[in-house]
Amino acid sequence: MFVTCIRKEFYDVVVNQRVALLVALDIDALCACKILQALFHCDQVQYTLVPVAGWQDLGTAFLEHKGQYRYFVLINCGANVELLETLQPEEDTTFFVLDTHRPVDVVNVYNDTQIKLLIKQDDDLGVPSYDDIFRDDEDDEDGGDSGNESDDGSEPSGKRRRFDEGAMERRIERQRAKREWEARRREILFDYEQYEYHGTSAAMVIFELAWVMTKDTKDMLWWAVIGLTDQWVHDKITHMKYVTDIATLQRHVSRHNHRNEDEENSLSIDCMRISFEYDLRLSLYQHWSLYESICNTSYTSCSFKLWSINGQKRLQEFLADMGLPLKQVKQKFNSMDVSIKENLREVIEESSSKFGMKDIRIQTFGVHFGFKNRFLAADVVHAATAVLEGVEKGEADNFIRALDCLSRSNLDRLHLGLDLAKKKLKAVQQTVASCICTNLILSQGPFLYCHLMEGTPDVKLFSKPLALTLLSKYLLKAFICSTRNKRCKILPLIMAVPLDVEKGTLMVLGIPPESDTSDKKNFFGRAFEKAAESTSSRALHDHFDTSIIELKTEDRGKFLDALITLLS
Amino acid sequence: MHRVHTDRLCVPFHPIKCGGNEAKCEGKSELIPTIKFRHCCLLRNQRCVAAYLYDRLLRIRALRWEYGSVLPANIRFHMCAEELEWFNQYKKSLATFMRSLGGDEGLDITQDMKPPKSLYIEVRCLKDHGEFEIDDGTVILLKKNSQHFLPRWKCEQLIRQGVLEHVIS
Repeated sequence: MFVTCIRKEFYDVVVNQRVALLVALDIDALCACKILQALFHCDQVQYTLVPVAGWQDLGTAFLEHKGQYRYFVLINCGANVELLETLQPEEDTTFFVLDTHRPVDVVNVYNDTQIKLLIKQDDDLGVPSYDDIFRDDEDDEDGGDSGNESDDGSEPSGKRRRFDEGAMERRIERQRAKREWEARRREILFDYEQYEYHGTSAAMVIFELAWVMTKDTKDMLWWAVIGLTDQWVHDKITHMKYVTDIATLQRHVSRHNHRNEDEENSLSIDCMRISFEYDLRLSLYQHWSLYESICNTSYTSCSFKLWSINGQKRLQEFLADMGLPLKQVKQKFNSMDVSIKENLREVIEESSSKFGMKDIRIQTFGVHFGFKNRFLAADVVHAATAVLEGVEKGEADNFIRALDCLSRSNLDRLHLGLDLAKKKLKAVQQTVASCICTNLILSQGPFLYCHLMEGTPDVKLFSKPLALTLLSKYLLKAFICSTRNKRCKILPLIMAVPLDVEKGTLMVLGIPPESDTSDKKNFFGRAFEKAAESTSSRALHDHFDTSIIELKTEDRGKFLDALITLLS
Repeated sequence: MHRVHTDRLCVPFHPIKCGGNEAKCEGKSELIPTIKFRHCCLLRNQRCVAAYLYDRLLRIRALRWEYGSVLPANIRFHMCAEELEWFNQYKKSLATFMRSLGGDEGLDITQDMKPPKSLYIEVRCLKDHGEFEIDDGTVILLKKNSQHFLPRWKCEQLIRQGVLEHVIS
């Protein structure tokens, strides 16, 4: 059931109890986790924190801890699949689900006792009404009656025949109505569950809880900003929603800043300041050189088509148009001439609109503490994602490192993350360039398909869900810019990368077609399920995002054929 | 020795008073300075004995903080019955006070040398340690890389062993 007052129905319930936190592996979940941890520290709520990568991990973690904990908080996992059936908990276990995955499974919505959804109901959910889906079976009694009557031979035959006919008609009518209702129910559920999308950031929901309890701090606000920015960087929400949520956070930011605007007691430079920025979309540009940043940001790279020679020429023209010498632009951003840095944003905006890039600037927030430390929200998201999906160490280690790099006291971790993010963005750019140049993207009819071979450089980097998502979105944008075939421009994309060579598995991801007014709704979840079922391919639907699956390499051919048939 | 002292404190005063009264009554006023002098000496002895007994009391009180609620036998040997009685009363008094703090369970303030910054700390598990029981009977599964928020005093032992790591954020 949906929780109406998060404070009364969630926080006040757990504040005297011991809680288990099960956190999914994405930055929004990590930020929500940090805010919740800070609140728990304030009120001395004992908890245990466990990272979970998919449904199997969730099941294992639940089994391990179900003996000791009655209250489980699931962050960014658990809403879109029937929880009680999957986990089989005891009667007294309560789950608090704070998840951005939509649509929320109907059984989870209508369970009144054990599942509490920490989701705002005005998040345009479109849940079907109870009567359309659930119905008590009253037909058994009547069916039984008619059965008894036909067995009973003691009544006078004339009366019984009339009675039987009446009962028979009613029974047929009831059965017909039931079949109609069931058909309608299937249709409603199909429409409801067909598309997968994301709702309000989990970090923002928890931040609101902190605000309601007046326990919010600037650190928590910054984490909420990062959570929202993560949704934007990984293209999970529409632009409209992003702008609306930015406006909500902007109110909080100005509230926090207003407190310190006293002229007599101005804050020390070391204090944290969050400011609203209408800044450039170039990834990590303040921690890199401007040139590298322009080359490795999907927006600019696709507009210029930097994988072609013409594209490189256009980039040079662009830089010349702005009057920026190449030497300056290739230097580290912090070492650029101050005179160039002064009006950089406006200059770039002016020139980019000449070259067809109207949205080079985006609304976001930046943080500033100490003399050296300035970060934009997107920078932190890229850094934390790179740490979370690092290839070297194990998953749980990476989770802890990513959690640490979100704290302000672990700046060296954050800088390490920034370096990893730069490498990742470069790898993405190179892979995209090579895919476009070698025409690796094939049109299979209802969708585009791209398969990265085993020996491709950096292919290990892309066997993680978030990195693969970034690569796919970038690739699709680049393909749309480079192809002349109008029909291909509105097709969705399916990417396959090798996951584990020994076991012979692939990771397959599907993303919706790219358009300016896209509502980011992804139908591949259900499509993959049906295709795997119909061909009995060995597929593992383990990720919380249903559009990502693991598949045995041998089954790839028949799986794709089934998909083509399904989607045509 | 304690008993001897208390006895000695009480006994001398009687004869002095009686002596003093007698002296006034019988007119032997030349004895009064002597009596006064002896009185002062006795008062001084009384003060010394009282100071000694008070010092013993303070040390017995410190013993509660050093050794806990059960004293070793060799120390108890050196205490008289009244002192033991006083110690028990002090123990009871302290226990009532500690129970009245910190919500339902009470707070054990004899644990740390200095007041701790926080009662609960965040710890990270560095190796698989299996199950771990805390005071109210609940069991926590310590698996590698899980993080927990637990009472400080239960974790200190494991932190020393290297199983848990204190996370400072």
